[in-house]
Amino acid sequence: MKIEKVVEKFYDGLAEHKLYGRKCKECGAIEFPPKYACNTCGYHETEWTELSGKGKLHSIILASTLNKDPWNSELKNYSYGLVELEEGVKFNATILGIRRKNAKKLREMLPLPIHPVFYEKEGFTTLFFELDEVEGIE
Amino acid sequence: MVEGKLGRFSRSVSVIGIGATPFCIIDDDPEMKGLTEGEFFGHAALMAMADAGLEPRDIDYFYHGAANPKFFNFAATPNMQVAEWFGMRGKGSVHHSEACCSGYVGLEEAVKDVASGAHDIVLSGCVEMACGLPVTHKPAHIRKPISLEDVLPDLEAIMDRAYTRALGAGHIGQDDWIDLYRNEYHLTEEQIDEVLNKMSYDGRRAAALNPLAMLRTPFEELAKNVGMDDPMEYLRSSYNPKTTQYLRGTGNAPSADGAACVIVCPTEMAHKFKQKPIEVLGIGASCLELMQPHNEKEITKEAARQVYEATGLSPDDIDLLLVNDFVLPSQLLAAEEVGYLPKGEGWKWVMEGRTAFDGDRPINPHGGRTSYGHAYGASGMADVYEAVLQLRGQAGPRQVKNNPKTAMLRGFGGGQNCRIPILRTVD
Repeated sequence: MKIEKVVEKFYDGLAEHKLYGRKCKECGAIEFPPKYACNTCGYHETEWTELSGKGKLHSIILASTLNKDPWNSELKNYSYGLVELEEGVKFNATILGIRRKNAKKLREMLPLPIHPVFYEKEGFTTLFFELDEVEGIE
Repeated sequence: MVEGKLGRFSRSVSVIGIGATPFCIIDDDPEMKGLTEGEFFGHAALMAMADAGLEPRDIDYFYHGAANPKFFNFAATPNMQVAEWFGMRGKGSVHHSEACCSGYVGLEEAVKDVASGAHDIVLSGCVEMACGLPVTHKPAHIRKPISLEDVLPDLEAIMDRAYTRALGAGHIGQDDWIDLYRNEYHLTEEQIDEVLNKMSYDGRRAAALNPLAMLRTPFEELAKNVGMDDPMEYLRSSYNPKTTQYLRGTGNAPSADGAACVIVCPTEMAHKFKQKPIEVLGIGASCLELMQPHNEKEITKEAARQVYEATGLSPDDIDLLLVNDFVLPSQLLAAEEVGYLPKGEGWKWVMEGRTAFDGDRPINPHGGRTSYGHAYGASGMADVYEAVLQLRGQAGPRQVKNNPKTAMLRGFGGGQNCRIPILRTVD
């Protein structure tokens, strides 16, 4: 078994605005972000796959005094939320563009469509998400 | 996630001794100021031995747990650095570190050790001196003050470094589950606030009766100090500001210095010692990284399923629940998830006072993390201490009223680790 670089390839992918995941060779579930093995069925082997980045936002948790993210202190309006990509994978993420003011209204409209934002940090590209345009919401 | 299987122990194991320091800020008390990790752990260990009627020479092996020994104690081999304080020079030991779940893992490891037959009498202790920081090139009794600015950046050490930190996926935890609950059962933000404040109130009422607890001033008194007659008015006022969307100041656990220990042995030997033995029937375990959806709920569900299945017990058999509620909503949410309270209805039981230490479905009779204090890695072991004390009927004025035979503990920490032990009195 050859040791394979997965983390580096994932971040190289983000730099090229591509989302790489791994697909289980037995059950077909997606590992995102990518890992060697499948955590849905517990099978040992997965293979590379590219994801669309399109999906839905299922929750909005505002960042406040005690749960703000020291890595992202430069971000102005962000929240956390549960993201589900159209390939079926679910995970927590940082969502840009949600403010205390519009959060209440947006919450009532969940789930809402989202798309990826490839965000440049010093030395690497990271991945956040952003709501697609919502009618009636700034 | 992939489900786990839990079997029965090869031999029955019981808790025969417990010991604990108060949870406190040592620098605030001239009699405590200057005490070190070794002294705190050693004191709790010797208390547990005295409780059981044992000498250090009788202990075969020990476990040492701490959430973050490199940060708080600048120690990479903390088990070696406490061993001689309680007469264990030369004996085998190991350190483990599972953030705020360490205490529950400490119980699990000790029980599995004895159940395997490797050792007969095993001590498991945890310590965290979480209210100060080590000073370079100074001995351990000299420490410097710690601030939120020191702690917050260090908290990211619990998150996966390959993905979770960089993708901003690890900070959702404090409000995530209560937000889900609120939406599922259509509660208003004000209703959630009232339920959390009622839990704060009842927790403090219990802590006021507990000499080991850190915050013991009843909310009646705190309210009076600012000219209010109603403690609930105080709890929902700007004297108790919001720190997240749902949590107020009183919904977060204050950091503490503290240590606690248990001693376990085969149940068949347990009658030889001083105290009524408390059997550990099983311990469910599940872990999920912080990026995974609703991870506290999912691992609580899975660990509870395992321990119910392995022991053949059901939620109706549980008389007392301890929940590591360093984020206050966990108390209610975990109680419903393990079936101790009815789904979607638990908040009403809280409002009716039924989950208070003197209610018919008691939770956290020691005051809960937000009043008892949170010495991170030691908190779980302090919960085990309390559960054993309650099952023995030795909890004094805060003794629960339903004559408990069986207790469940929902251990949780680091946002990732869950252990659910069930303890029962031995007939």
